[in-house]
Amino acid sequence: MLIKLMKHEFRATGRVMGPLYLVLLVTAIGANLSTRGLLETNSSFLNMLGGLLVVAFVFAIMGVCLMSLVLMVQRFYKNLLGDEGYVMFTLPASVHQQVWSKLIVSAVWFAATLLAVCAAGTIMVYEVGFMKAFFHGLGEVFRQLTAYYALNGTALVLEFLLLCFVTCCAMCLQFYAAMAVGHSFPNHKGLMSVVFFFVFQFAVQLMGSLLIVFLDESPFHRWLLQLTDWQLSGMAATHLLMIVLIFGVVLYGAIFYVVTTFFLKRHLNLE
Amino acid sequence: MSVLECNNLTKHYGSAPALNHVSFTVEPGRIVGLLGPNGSGKTTLLKLANGLLTPSEGEIVVCGAAPGRESHAQVSYLPERTAIPTWMSTRQLLDFYGDFYADFRREAAEEMLRHLNIQPKQRIKQMSKGTREKVQLIMVMSRAAKLYLLDEPIGGVDPATRDYILSTIIGNYNPEASVMISTHLIADVEKVLDDVIFINQGQLVLQSSVDEIREEKGMSVDALFREVFKC
Repeated sequence: MLIKLMKHEFRATGRVMGPLYLVLLVTAIGANLSTRGLLETNSSFLNMLGGLLVVAFVFAIMGVCLMSLVLMVQRFYKNLLGDEGYVMFTLPASVHQQVWSKLIVSAVWFAATLLAVCAAGTIMVYEVGFMKAFFHGLGEVFRQLTAYYALNGTALVLEFLLLCFVTCCAMCLQFYAAMAVGHSFPNHKGLMSVVFFFVFQFAVQLMGSLLIVFLDESPFHRWLLQLTDWQLSGMAATHLLMIVLIFGVVLYGAIFYVVTTFFLKRHLNLE
Repeated sequence: MSVLECNNLTKHYGSAPALNHVSFTVEPGRIVGLLGPNGSGKTTLLKLANGLLTPSEGEIVVCGAAPGRESHAQVSYLPERTAIPTWMSTRQLLDFYGDFYADFRREAAEEMLRHLNIQPKQRIKQMSKGTREKVQLIMVMSRAAKLYLLDEPIGGVDPATRDYILSTIIGNYNPEASVMISTHLIADVEKVLDDVIFINQGQLVLQSSVDEIREEKGMSVDALFREVFKC
């Protein structure tokens, strides 16, 4: 059932994101032509056209990024908490499947948007020599990282990408939780959703600050400082930090997942 | 086994009770009118039966289970408003219902859509409000469900459309199933009903067969409704 929900979710969102990616790639080609010729001519018309193509490319990047975020919020709000909720919540699917389908599809679009922006950037600056130099430079950065800091550059990048991915998912769940709680009220559902988003944000920051203060003054911290036999290498400490961060973000997302599913199951209040 | 069973079902919105200790059963093969004035609790009852609300007290059993995935596979629900995704084309909507419901009869739905001259490529948002309501009804009635829960299917439509809707319901429901029609337009639905449930201010006022009302009280359901709910 989750696969079917995702299929229709991709169908609903793909009709928006697909054309936007196409516009992004077309403007990237336009911006490439612009930087490789139009801006260097003596014609003021061609100069202006080149400038407009570059501006269009920048707007296209902003538009794609913004739309992937807006679509994530809008699909949850409209498809589950709006009139369509009467159809969606009477399908033979669980609330968990409904939330997972929205979350997975949104995360896929975030990843696809990142790839599309990278691809568009590559098209914009495309020149064989430049690309060779760029990838050579990138490889050199990894080699230097590994040699100088004794870090496994590739693993670190993968950990960083995973951290970005789980952060996106957790952010989605914070939006979902705020909307699920806000829409459980009889009136001012939209306003209450916004209020609860900021309440959650404040709560997360407060908890984070308290946790740092608590850990700093805790016996655990003093115990760690007393350890002299057990020294972490730079590489191990960095990997450990990334893993702790990833688990922390997963926990933060899991709390919002529980809030979202609880309110959708127990306090669903469609208009 | 009854297809719908309510035991002391109660639902509060804040402190205001929308349903107050309602108990009744609906047996298979019956067409039941859930009748009551506006705000009597009809929509709340149907939402509870579909798991769109959680009871404050009591229980509701639908096709032998609490409202959820299992019951959703056996219940076909028509909400009081147009809820089908408007960005979809008719074909995509058929795919949607076919994907999620094993009992969806696509050929029957296509036949009814052809009868209304609705093209498969036509998007729902391009249709008039009345046509959207008909398309939604066609989707709901094209399922071979065990229980059809229809919330105000003839509310706010012209008399000709009312006739079309009622004939679609009667001509397409699974004969072994039960149909519950919630409405306050009694005269229009009376001819198709086997049983009636009167509900007012969240409380069950009467449950009876239409034949009993005619024989014992010597009046139509519409006349009895006017008498019971006289202002």
